[in-house]
Amino acid sequence: MSALNPRAGGGSVRSVNYATSPLLASKTPPWRSRLLVAMVGIGFTALLARAAYVQVIGTDFFQQQGEKRYVHTLQMPASRGRILDRNGALLATSVAAPSVWAIPKDLNPDSTPAQRAELARALGMNPADLEKRLQDNPNFVWLRRQVEDETWAKVKALNLKGVHQVSEFKRRYPEGEAAAHVVGFTGVEQTGQEGIELAFQRELQGKDGSREVVKDRLGRVIEDVGQQLDPIDGRDIALSIDAKVQFFAYQRIRDAVAEHKAKAGSVVVLDVETGEVLALANYPSYDPGDRGKLTGNQLRNRALTDTFEPGSTMKPFIAAQALETGRVRADTPVVTAAGSLVIGGRTIRDAHSHPVLTVAEVIQKSSNVGAARLAMQMPPREMWELYSNLGFGHKPQLKFPGTVTGRLRPWKTWKPIEQATMSYGYGLSASLLQIAQAYTAFARDGEVVPVSMFKQDMPPPGLRVFKPETAREVRKMLQMAAGPGGTGPLAQTIGYSVGGKSGTAHKQEGGGYASNKYRSWFVGLAPVDKPRVIVAVMVDEPSAGKYFGGTVAAPVFSQVVQHTLRLKNIEPDLEVKPQIVTKAVPAEPESF
Amino acid sequence: MTRLNFVLLAALVGSCMYMVKITYEGRQLFTALDRARTEERQHERDFKRLQAEREAQATSGRVEQVARERLSMRTATPAVTFYVDAAASEVRR
Repeated sequence: MSALNPRAGGGSVRSVNYATSPLLASKTPPWRSRLLVAMVGIGFTALLARAAYVQVIGTDFFQQQGEKRYVHTLQMPASRGRILDRNGALLATSVAAPSVWAIPKDLNPDSTPAQRAELARALGMNPADLEKRLQDNPNFVWLRRQVEDETWAKVKALNLKGVHQVSEFKRRYPEGEAAAHVVGFTGVEQTGQEGIELAFQRELQGKDGSREVVKDRLGRVIEDVGQQLDPIDGRDIALSIDAKVQFFAYQRIRDAVAEHKAKAGSVVVLDVETGEVLALANYPSYDPGDRGKLTGNQLRNRALTDTFEPGSTMKPFIAAQALETGRVRADTPVVTAAGSLVIGGRTIRDAHSHPVLTVAEVIQKSSNVGAARLAMQMPPREMWELYSNLGFGHKPQLKFPGTVTGRLRPWKTWKPIEQATMSYGYGLSASLLQIAQAYTAFARDGEVVPVSMFKQDMPPPGLRVFKPETAREVRKMLQMAAGPGGTGPLAQTIGYSVGGKSGTAHKQEGGGYASNKYRSWFVGLAPVDKPRVIVAVMVDEPSAGKYFGGTVAAPVFSQVVQHTLRLKNIEPDLEVKPQIVTKAVPAEPESF
Repeated sequence: MTRLNFVLLAALVGSCMYMVKITYEGRQLFTALDRARTEERQHERDFKRLQAEREAQATSGRVEQVARERLSMRTATPAVTFYVDAAASEVRR
């Protein structure tokens, strides 16, 4: 007992023998130290195994997880291709526009209603609308997409938490409504919805790129890792359209529609040498950059999508075919007695009766009876082949949405009266572009050339329909029709000879024709000897008193021809009384 | 032997320090380069935007309006145009 407790024995503290502590005196069993060593050993082995697993076996997984935490993928959006006119003027281009978005769960608790109202004002929104939008989704809402840079600068200045921007592109259309139907437009996601934007979506769109980077704590890019994909910008599309001609044509048709209180109108201008479309304008139109109040009526590209019975504009083709086959000559008389002709119990009438007209006069005076008489000499099949070769009943070879085929029934189903009415353009239908295309047969000395919306390097091969002499002869008839004594003298221009044919028709309504609704048009070419342009004008439902193609559409034709030929630097082929006055001013002798 | 070891150790420490410095500088340069690239892209975007704006200011319609109203110009007609015959002027020369 005394060994365990030294004090108990009454001895001093110094006498304690530490070396022989009774606690140590107890004998440790050897298994305990071995256990300890084993456990430490096992611990190290486990660590080694884990290290081996992390470094060797599962290394890919951990590497990926690590990268996920510090590598960021940056999207690099490709810019959509531009649409240009034949001279390189911009018709559509993409500009950067920031889109503002917010994380409502960050923004809402961190801002006062007054601050949010300020934000709404900066974005040009109604504060109530903004609040409603912020309730939609706590994690992400678009506040406003594709705003101006200044707008984003204002929003940024408010310094609100949870408001961010992402860089997007916005489409700009400098020519606005003048070229709207040709160019079309894109949706907010930059996909084409109409016109060339839709037809060439794939070429225009390009391919987004991406790069993987390491960012530091301040958000700066400090290293590129992995592979980089550069964005591939969309291809530019160059059209055959001439922005100046396009604008002028649009302006003229807009004025004509207003003047004649019409519903709509279209103009097509073709380059004769290449078949290129220089202008294709429709009214009513829209601003492709601001489509808030867009209606289907404004969207319609009437020159391509609206078909109508081409009426009197078909007569020159019948006359040409009759000349071509040697059935008649330009001065052969055609009996148009009493201005009416009965075929199969139906009567064909002329507006003004003439007893006898020559073939040339049939075109000049636009005689239905004369045209029917010429046509009845031809078998239906021959006439069908003629129309078909001219492109009627075929879709124009144009990569453009909404292009229509028109209607030309197979010749086997034609009744004689139908063949007669088809000679003056009833019983078949075509778009204004198809009619303009068919007139290339006269303008190019007998060859029909396919129209194109793109710049052609060389004239495409045409399809010969008439002999050059026939085409030249018909051009003279067209010149007479557009001259004094013809149906369209208002088509004349200063300095340039023009030839063309007017057309007027009651509009079709249901099964019959509306008695007080008209469609007026004029198709022609200039200059007559060596045509350079074909212009086709159509005005739908002129209702201000005048409705003949020769009075409604011909003046538009005249102005457009005049302007286009001047822009193309074509010398006038007619004598013009010069108004240039120059005075001979003697020079003052110099003193020397 | 010991001295050599010391020299090698100093060289090692020196090269380590140098590597740290170079890496740091490399990152600084890369950041600067990246910033310059971002700026370049920004300028490119501005260029496109300004080009579009210029184009919008110079449309046929606006040019015509300004020419007519502010400059009192009018459209040339063949009546007020003197056409020079290129072939004839060649001969005269």
